[in-house]
Amino acid sequence: MALMKVRKLKKDIPKEAKALCEQMLKDLERAKRPTLEAIKCSLDNSFYNPKVGYLTPGDKRVRTELNVSSVQKLSRTIFMLDILLENIYNGSVNTKRELYYMAKGLVKSTRGINLKPLDFDDQPESDAIIDFICDMLMVYREEVNCFANDRGGQTYSQCLSVTETLPDGSKTTVDLKNLGTAPFQPKNRPQALKLKATKKIEFCLVVESEGTANTLVSNGFTRRNNCIVMGAQGVPSNAVRAWCKTIQDQLKVPIFFFGDLDAYTLQNIYRTLKAGSAASLVRNSDFSAPEVRFLGVLPEDVKKYDLHCYTVSEKNASDARSLKKARDVLQNDPFFKDKKNKDVAKILNWLIKHKVRCEQQAFFSVNPKDPLMTEKIILDKIRSGSYV
Amino acid sequence: MANQIKSSSTAEYFAKNLQQVGFSSPLKAVLTTLKEAVDNSLDACEEHDILPELIIEINKKGKGSSRSSDLVEIIVEDNGPGLEVDMVGKVFGEYLASSKFGRGQCSRGQQGIGISAATTWAQLTNASGVVVTTKTKKMRKAVRAKVDVDIKSNRGVIKQKETFDWHKDHGVRCEFIIDGRIQLNGDGGILTYLEGTTLVNPHLTLKYKLLENDWVEIPRVSDEVPKVPKPTLPHPHTMKLGEFMTHAHIYGKISLDKFLKKGFSRVTDNSIKDFVKRGMPQAYLKKNLNKMSEKEFKNVFSAIQDSELPNPSTKSVLTVGEEALSKSVLRIGVVDFFSVVTRKPKICDYKPIVVEVAIARFLDRGRDAEDKQIQLLRFANRVPLQFDKAGCAITKAVESINWRSYGLAQSKNSLPIGPYIIAVAVTSPFIKFKNASKETIDASDELVEELRRALMQAGQKLGRHIKREEKAADLERKLAHIEKFGPILVEGLAKIIGAGEQRKKRAEEGLKKLLGRDTSAAEDDLAAAEQRLKKQREMQRQRLGFDARQLIEESSVNEEVSVNAGDEPEEAPTSKKATSKKATSKKTTAKKSTKKATKKVAKKATKKKTVAKKATKKSAAKAKKKSNKKVTKKKATKKAARAKK
Repeated sequence: MALMKVRKLKKDIPKEAKALCEQMLKDLERAKRPTLEAIKCSLDNSFYNPKVGYLTPGDKRVRTELNVSSVQKLSRTIFMLDILLENIYNGSVNTKRELYYMAKGLVKSTRGINLKPLDFDDQPESDAIIDFICDMLMVYREEVNCFANDRGGQTYSQCLSVTETLPDGSKTTVDLKNLGTAPFQPKNRPQALKLKATKKIEFCLVVESEGTANTLVSNGFTRRNNCIVMGAQGVPSNAVRAWCKTIQDQLKVPIFFFGDLDAYTLQNIYRTLKAGSAASLVRNSDFSAPEVRFLGVLPEDVKKYDLHCYTVSEKNASDARSLKKARDVLQNDPFFKDKKNKDVAKILNWLIKHKVRCEQQAFFSVNPKDPLMTEKIILDKIRSGSYV
Repeated sequence: MANQIKSSSTAEYFAKNLQQVGFSSPLKAVLTTLKEAVDNSLDACEEHDILPELIIEINKKGKGSSRSSDLVEIIVEDNGPGLEVDMVGKVFGEYLASSKFGRGQCSRGQQGIGISAATTWAQLTNASGVVVTTKTKKMRKAVRAKVDVDIKSNRGVIKQKETFDWHKDHGVRCEFIIDGRIQLNGDGGILTYLEGTTLVNPHLTLKYKLLENDWVEIPRVSDEVPKVPKPTLPHPHTMKLGEFMTHAHIYGKISLDKFLKKGFSRVTDNSIKDFVKRGMPQAYLKKNLNKMSEKEFKNVFSAIQDSELPNPSTKSVLTVGEEALSKSVLRIGVVDFFSVVTRKPKICDYKPIVVEVAIARFLDRGRDAEDKQIQLLRFANRVPLQFDKAGCAITKAVESINWRSYGLAQSKNSLPIGPYIIAVAVTSPFIKFKNASKETIDASDELVEELRRALMQAGQKLGRHIKREEKAADLERKLAHIEKFGPILVEGLAKIIGAGEQRKKRAEEGLKKLLGRDTSAAEDDLAAAEQRLKKQREMQRQRLGFDARQLIEESSVNEEVSVNAGDEPEEAPTSKKATSKKATSKKTTAKKSTKKATKKVAKKATKKKTVAKKATKKSAAKAKKKSNKKVTKKKATKKAARAKK
């Protein structure tokens, strides 16, 4: 059964995996130390390329050479690779949690050779091995049939239809207009979906809080405007990131991110949505939407609408940590250091200087009697170009 | 107004302020009474060059007179020189009657307060003082009498005097019945006290029976009675003006220069010249002391204080010694390894002081001990300090050290964690205590620094042991890894590419070679760690004639022998011996198991050595067994003779 593809992958994963194992076995036969190499996924190996608009990996590699200390990791890698290859051959799909239990089951059931030393004590151990395999083969987890239970990405629109090609080759189309108040939520491989605008779509609004997105839609935001509204539900999951990228690439509409004015939102949510993250360097090209703009809350909105702010105190341990992290990010994160994103860096500097934070829901305080006030402000901001 | 002012006796003062001398609670009362009696016995034995043999018995006699207390009987019997009958009242019933006061010697007792305070406590809580039995060599019969403190006149009153035949040639037995509470374990426990006393008195043989428990006997490990050094002359810099003048008047009619040279240590002709330079008129030197005025004394004193003098002599301090301490530490439990350090005497705050440290890891402290703080045993002039730990200089010094670098777990600024005992002994003729009950040593910077140095030295020795253990564990882990993962890795690779049996076999051999190289690197590390440890042991052996490991092994062999000796049919098994036999057999098995554990790790070469060592030990053990048999036979005949009498 052929699965939907994330991208046009030129690699044959089973063939690559076999070649790797062949090399390892050959090395062992010659009493030579086999090594496994993977891209180093960390901030010190991340580069922001303004032309492509996302974080790309540098030359640094994580090299694991077989020795007494690493023999456990390598044995576990080969063991998990075998399970994943089986999945690819069978066309079956599993989550990381399921793979963890499958590994446990195999350790228990295998007769003859004692696999007990490979047993994972907890899921993070098996997750790390799966990630290592993906980084090593330079593939996405979805390409080795390991799917995530992605949250977020609830999408509302009156002018969007989505066509999905199912594993058996048949196609199904969902017109979001027909879903009523229920959202459409993409899963796993949004890149494989085909989008079509039934009317001209003016913009796509990604709202940090899924609750606020739902409020806007319930109040008729999507009925009055030819747009797409999406709830990000915090730090964007792979599905949300890929879904944004798909909307950006296929519909070519401006995408605006509407979230809190605080360091966490800028560093972790907006940056990840726009340029990917250091932990996912291998997949940023397909899981980031560089065209996304930050609509607010902006520092100027705080003044203009006299929004309520919370103070961020150096005395509070968690606040002090977040301020320290913000200063760190300005110095070390290639995204914030790049000229192209100087406006976002400016906001971060403003936050550090003024030591405040303002939530997106603060717009509801502008005119509490008018339920459409937030919608009006958002539209006004888009029209007037009040975003960065 | 004048009619209202009354003078009261010393005894009256202490009777009202017994909390100041260690009787602040029923718990402390029992321990302080025991401590004072034991201190006196040990001091008396040492003074007369007798190897001390103490018998201690503590029993509950019923309900105490006050709430939440019991009536506790404390009996301490020694083999010391004994007390003349005239002295009994003075010693047990009179405050500040002491042969040791202000002598400047490292004796346990100093002021002559403690035992009289215990008698007072007995009198106050049980309406009866102490019952003392005494016999000196000169006395034909022993004397038993009750001693009470006459609080109004600060005198000991002897009552119910009787004479009788005693089995001892000489010695003292005191029996207190007081209100108190008995705690055996923990910081303020009696067992902890006895353990500590045993540790710093290797020449002591101790027999004790606590409550319903059986008799326990801890034999001595040293046959040398410590020679308490004679006091040295006072150092001028340690005196105050008043003391200086009183000291001068003791010397009487001699001239000042003679007095300075005779009456003080570290004062030479050159120092006197220096005093003159610093403002002491030359004319004073030949002046008679009795003719000198207060002003002139003041002049002399300030010139002396302004001039520099060599530090006081350190000859007056006493040490337990590394050898004795090493042997003694093995008496208090099943020790895995230990390190001892005796520092050279040093001057701290113008007083000679010596610090000794023993760190030992115990195997018989139970699993809980792994996660608990170490047991800190503090000693001042060989007396265990058991209360008010936090304010003590010793605790401060231990807490200030980073024990993690020596391989021990430790939270910041607190005692390290693990089944260890850290024993720290401070000995000095002038220990600065924080209070009259002598529970805490005052923490001066100089003293804490000296303590830290001793602790760090001991910690380094301990660290080498732990490092070697870690390396051995690392090697073991690596060996286990090869066995575990090698076949799995090859099997996995072969499965994915469909390789045949031959390739698998070749790969497995290759893998063994590869991992073998890693193991040999770990073996090298272990060998290096062992080399360092060996060097340390060699140095110790050169200095003391033995090393820690050797001592531990010897002690376990001795115990095996004593167990075998106990099995002999001709030995009449008294209740005392039966207990000590049981205890030792338990210890031996525990030690055997540790040995097994260490053996697992050790290399083949070391195994061979141990086999060779064991062979020699066995032959030594046989010889000892024979001699032990003789000793036990002698003991049996002695006992029979006593029974006949």
